[in-house]
Amino acid sequence: MKWISLIPVVGVGVLLLFAAQDFPEWGDPQSPASQSPVASHFINNTGVDTEVPNMVTAVLADYRGFDTMFETVVVFIAGIAVLAILKGSGGRRRGTRRAYEVEAEPDIIVTHTVRLMVPVIQIFAFYVLAHGHVSPGGGFQGGVVMGASFILVALAWDLDHALVRMSLPRCMAIAAAGIIIYAGIGFLSMFLGGEFLDYAELEKVLPVSREMARYHAMLGVEIGVGFTVTSIMFALYANLSTEGRLKGGL
Amino acid sequence: MDNAIAWILLFPLIGSIACALLGMVNRKLCYPISVLSMVAATWASVETLFQAVASPTAEVSYIFGGWVLDLFPRGVGIEFRADLLGALIALVVVGVGLIVSMYAKLPVEKETPRKEALYYPLFLLQITGLAGIALTGDAFNLYVLIEVAALTGYGLIAIGSNRAAAATFNYLILGTIGASLYLLGVGYVYIKTGTLNMVGIQEVIATNGLHDSPTMQVAFVLIGLGILIKMAFFPFHAWLPNAYSSAPTTTSCLLAPLVTKVMIYVMIRMVLTVFGVEFSFESTLWSEFMPWLVVIAIVCAAVMALAQREIKKMLAYLIVAEVGYMVGGVWIYNYYGFIGSIFHIISDACMTLCLFLATGIILRACKTTHFDGLRGLFSKMPLTMIGFFVGGFSIIGLPPTCGFFSKWYLITGGMVAERWEYMVVLMFSTMIMVVLFFRLIERIHLAVSESGEDLGKGHGDLGLTKEQTTFEEAPLSMLIPLLLAASIVMIIGIYNQEVVDQIELFLAPFNLPKGTGH
Repeated sequence: MKWISLIPVVGVGVLLLFAAQDFPEWGDPQSPASQSPVASHFINNTGVDTEVPNMVTAVLADYRGFDTMFETVVVFIAGIAVLAILKGSGGRRRGTRRAYEVEAEPDIIVTHTVRLMVPVIQIFAFYVLAHGHVSPGGGFQGGVVMGASFILVALAWDLDHALVRMSLPRCMAIAAAGIIIYAGIGFLSMFLGGEFLDYAELEKVLPVSREMARYHAMLGVEIGVGFTVTSIMFALYANLSTEGRLKGGL
Repeated sequence: MDNAIAWILLFPLIGSIACALLGMVNRKLCYPISVLSMVAATWASVETLFQAVASPTAEVSYIFGGWVLDLFPRGVGIEFRADLLGALIALVVVGVGLIVSMYAKLPVEKETPRKEALYYPLFLLQITGLAGIALTGDAFNLYVLIEVAALTGYGLIAIGSNRAAAATFNYLILGTIGASLYLLGVGYVYIKTGTLNMVGIQEVIATNGLHDSPTMQVAFVLIGLGILIKMAFFPFHAWLPNAYSSAPTTTSCLLAPLVTKVMIYVMIRMVLTVFGVEFSFESTLWSEFMPWLVVIAIVCAAVMALAQREIKKMLAYLIVAEVGYMVGGVWIYNYYGFIGSIFHIISDACMTLCLFLATGIILRACKTTHFDGLRGLFSKMPLTMIGFFVGGFSIIGLPPTCGFFSKWYLITGGMVAERWEYMVVLMFSTMIMVVLFFRLIERIHLAVSESGEDLGKGHGDLGLTKEQTTFEEAPLSMLIPLLLAASIVMIIGIYNQEVVDQIELFLAPFNLPKGTGH
């Protein structure tokens, strides 16, 4: 009966081919998306509006910063939801050993290599986060690299070794702090007289121009994103690898 | 206050972060925080509705980040636009959220013990997402908020039990397919129009003459299909009954009245504001075949509701049938059908809330929601049962409950548009609802067993011990929200003209046909 699922697949394929006949040419400068006033505004005026050389960052963190705030909230929700579902669900079959409970001493070559790598990874994470204005990067990417460094510690030693540095309550507090930073910058600009997330209003408290206020506020919200992503990355790994029991682990 | 429209989302957002942080210190703080933030959000929503009514264009526009430029009046940022429809739906969302947050204390303590610091943040973020969907004026921002509402929904359902987790997995797969189809559709719209602002898209469609563009046609199909999956329209409803009946009480009280209804709002928004009446009804064939699909949907869902022996499951199938009503009201392409659909979103949210709140109390008192466990409940908890009956009468459509008036407009629409199939199926499903609820009322009042034999000793005797019929009403924190919901059902019914006036004001610029559409 599996072949029945072929019918919707073919149907959707035909639908997509039908849609493609009307697409603009690849890279056509006359296509509607390139011609629209919004796109040309981004290309021509990002530098003037925000002093940020990387247009993608400016669109992500400023022009459409409200979307990005909720994307950060989505990451936060994912963390809470996994925690909520797995909390208390493990440990019913006491006495039996799970596949992930391996009793072995940490390997000396692995731990020493990781000891060397982790600081470099973390510094690189800061660089990716802070340099997001100029080069590809930003809060999400930096946060993922940072979170990966903690996961690496958990892999090389064991989960407890990583949890000492990053316990779950601490993870959730840092994740919430990330959203507080992001939304807090939005509230601050609202209380200073602008709309929510109107970073330019921050010139009233920062000793810089309106454009540079946007520049700095973008760094601020990226740091908030980085906080949330880092801690949720690690919290997800810790929960999923041990079915919520936070003991042992790969 | 100028920022009221933003505060509708920001109050629950602050509340959820506060719950997550303070809940780790003391779990008891979560409940007051969530009620408080919902009170504040309701106030902001009422304020926004008044602003929308008072403004000359009948809408409140708010552009995040202050990105208003002379070159592009629609803004290069994200716009929140509360016209009368959006403001009304947002008020329904936060209003239901407020009532459920008051009700939540005992069920959450009982069903998800020691998880308050995780439950309440998800609960408040769910309301944030749904209220945002009602207010946003940006097609991609809508997707982000759908994602917020969906993810919190999965968490809120699966937190309950292992059975709920299995049901959630189905919901997760289907919900993700729906959201992906919507996102793909938005991508196609952007390729052809170069904007994401809802009104902006419609302007480009009109100026560039995109009515016959294959890409736009496919985008319309993808977006429509995605939303139909999300709203549990009949062939795509498989995720809903199990998810809602196995979810914790508070979750089903919040999700059942809101999620499907908000998705129908999204469909109305897409048809009227994004693609425009001309594109949706003249350039596509949807208005030809959708009423027939609606007929199948309503008949199947109503018959399946009839087959259930468990209140929560029965209500879940009723929701699927009600979704059919509202989708039909849109696609018969008629002024009165639209009034009926929009009014039915509001009244269905209120009456479903009423029924699920009462079911939660029954579950708490009887430990079961199976039909056989209901005998003698009226003498035990008369007020709860009155609340339940008000909700049931509204689903049937008895005046003066709000369900009567919304169904009246739907049937009028079917008649004026000469869509007899839709009208007949509405009547048919009303008959089934009568059977459903009077069968329940019989179970509650009389001592008749499933096979029809009399269990009592005749004449008013229910065949129960004295303890089983002693007056023992539900705790006040659960009873007051229920009675509040029941009185709202009546109040909206009595003041239906005031609501319809606002809906008519919203529909006026769209020039919908008041006779047959073709």
